[in-house]
Amino acid sequence: MAKAYGIVTMAGAHINIEGMMDFRPVSAFSFLGRYRIIDFPVSSLSNSDIENIHVYVSQNPRSLAEHLGSGRIYNINSKRGTLQLLFNQDSRVNDIYNTDIQAYYDNMDVISRMQQQYVIITPGHMIFKQDYKRLLEDHVASGADITVLYHKVNNAKTEFRNCTVVNLNRQKGVKSIEKNEGNVDEKNIFMETYVMKNDLFMELINKSKRTSSILRLVDIINIANEELDIRGIQHKGYFSVVTDFKSYFDSNLALLDRNAQKELFSDDWPIYTQTTDACPVHYFDGSSVKNSMVANGCRIEGTIENSVVGRNVEIGSKVVIRNCIIMSHAKIDDNVCLENQVVDKYAHITSDKTIVTTPDKPGYIRRNDIL
Amino acid sequence: MKQNSMLAMVLAGGRGSRLKDLTNKVAKPAVSFGGKYRIIDFPLSNCANSGIDIVGVLTQYESVLLNSYAAAGRIWGLDSKDSGVFILPPREKADANLDVYRGTADAISQNIDFIDTYNPEYLLILSGDHIYKMNYSKMLAFHKEHKADATIAVIGVPKKEASRFGIMATNEDDRIVEFQEKPKAPKSNLASMGIYIFNWKLLRKLLLADMKNNDSHHDFGKDIIPTLLNDGRLIYAYRFKGYWKDVGTIDSLWEANMDLLEKSNELDLSDPSWKIYTEDATELPQYIGCDAVVKNSYITQGCIVEGKVENSVLFTGTEVGKDAVVKDAVLMPSSIVEDGAKVTRALVANGVKIGKGAVVGNAKSEEILLVAEDVEGVK
Repeated sequence: MAKAYGIVTMAGAHINIEGMMDFRPVSAFSFLGRYRIIDFPVSSLSNSDIENIHVYVSQNPRSLAEHLGSGRIYNINSKRGTLQLLFNQDSRVNDIYNTDIQAYYDNMDVISRMQQQYVIITPGHMIFKQDYKRLLEDHVASGADITVLYHKVNNAKTEFRNCTVVNLNRQKGVKSIEKNEGNVDEKNIFMETYVMKNDLFMELINKSKRTSSILRLVDIINIANEELDIRGIQHKGYFSVVTDFKSYFDSNLALLDRNAQKELFSDDWPIYTQTTDACPVHYFDGSSVKNSMVANGCRIEGTIENSVVGRNVEIGSKVVIRNCIIMSHAKIDDNVCLENQVVDKYAHITSDKTIVTTPDKPGYIRRNDIL
Repeated sequence: MKQNSMLAMVLAGGRGSRLKDLTNKVAKPAVSFGGKYRIIDFPLSNCANSGIDIVGVLTQYESVLLNSYAAAGRIWGLDSKDSGVFILPPREKADANLDVYRGTADAISQNIDFIDTYNPEYLLILSGDHIYKMNYSKMLAFHKEHKADATIAVIGVPKKEASRFGIMATNEDDRIVEFQEKPKAPKSNLASMGIYIFNWKLLRKLLLADMKNNDSHHDFGKDIIPTLLNDGRLIYAYRFKGYWKDVGTIDSLWEANMDLLEKSNELDLSDPSWKIYTEDATELPQYIGCDAVVKNSYITQGCIVEGKVENSVLFTGTEVGKDAVVKDAVLMPSSIVEDGAKVTRALVANGVKIGKGAVVGNAKSEEILLVAEDVEGVK
């Protein structure tokens, strides 16, 4: 048995992606045509031999529950391993009560029964790969109480504005974790990933409840920083976050770059997802496709450039699609022009429409809508 | 418990030697088809979609890959409590020495004990090397309706090609009156598809007798069906309409892949009501590069296309480099066409690499070129 179990957290209340979140939590967002964002943390945990995984969800659990199933798709042993969805009921009184700590508190009995000595907590709205086995080894070897992951960036003034940053001392000790104020470009973006002993985790949850009802895990860790040895480890490789609509749009299109693809996907680190048994893509005579990722089951007669196209999408003739994310089962009829749009599942755009916006303000076409 | 009134046995032991180097290491049913599938996905998906729960797969030639592949019954959803795919290679038994399957009928005879454990009323015999979609439950309904002793699925073939097939001569009620194996003078154009439904009790008796008959070829077409006809048993022809292809040669395998390029092709693998299931590849969606040109092609997950692809079928994980041209070609899984190479009217085998600038195949060739070994690049 692995020494740690995993927790994939739900996106905090500060994350709001208008439109798309009406239908599913961020972790269930479709990503790069055939994945969902949750596939990245869960695959990394599974590839690290961590086979007991808790996935937290509070709202619209249907799509996440459907997608995760028994966990078999993630190569988790069906007897020894478990992939559990843990629910918690959001407070209707006031959003300030809806913290991750509250969710953990509601599921304290499950947490307290875990056999593993360590817990690895990682978010459901960030896209990266990480060998957690190595992270755990490094954590144990360092003797730290808590190890957190951070990613060094040089564009924190404009990007990652909805993230927190890790302030480190020279020995990689964590001084504080605070909001990205956007005043400096070089920052260590906090990846909301923690390794600690499960006992300490429970202690922090209880302490947090005793201190205040509205604390988040990151708050109590900041408060406990004085007594605890908290260290940061730098993550290297592909990293993106989905905290708003624009970052969702950008994270997808960023992976049209072959080098970015190679950084995130490799044969020795598979990213698992649910298969839908869609047939290969059928390109017809009039089609012209450049710099795009296309998932199986599509039928394409038109032009696609710099776009991500999900499964079973139909693209009619004389259609032009540029810088778009088209989700599965969308149908685009003849003579449609779309630029900088996110078209949600099962949307149907009937012929002779032009919907164009600028890349800094991508548009959104809702699930099931007919235009 | 669910009632398994019909059990299916898939004959998957053949080598398919006319597929040349493609079947050096794998049996024909495991050969790739249609971008992401293997040939045996078709009968197994048909079984799953027809509500058949228990499927035996009879393997013999180069069966390691085929055995492990077919054993993963979950691929086709045949993994519920009461269902399963069972791999049945020849085995040594208490009362018989280890012996190869001497023929199609013998393969079933040697597994009577397996079939008996499920005690089915009907036995469906399938071949593991045909491409088609068929609802076997409709064929069973036909069989019951006619109170038949056996039913054979048939398909109309052009008269001039009839002599390549096993031909069924029928009366006006579609009762089979004569069976002609590859006849010079065919009496009808109804070819056997190698799909049979038998009443198990009757077939069991015939098989036990056939095992002891030293003059028998132990073959359904040559021995069992003629015996039934001689005995005056009721054998009916079940007429199938739709796509059906025996992909026995390089040319026919290439052709069957090319058939998928027709806009409304008969096989229609995109029909959500009759999906063909296959092993899931853990690969990225396909990436079509900045300078790529893709026309009239069928391309699957994991492919990377930087060059020009026209009229072709690209299988899982193939790569086409910059300025490369792939035309009228089939690229089997993980094959690579490097920058500037040209592939025309060819079938490139699994994992084969066509080096930079190399030219293979000829637009005017009569036969399809099989490229089974790496081709060195041109400096």
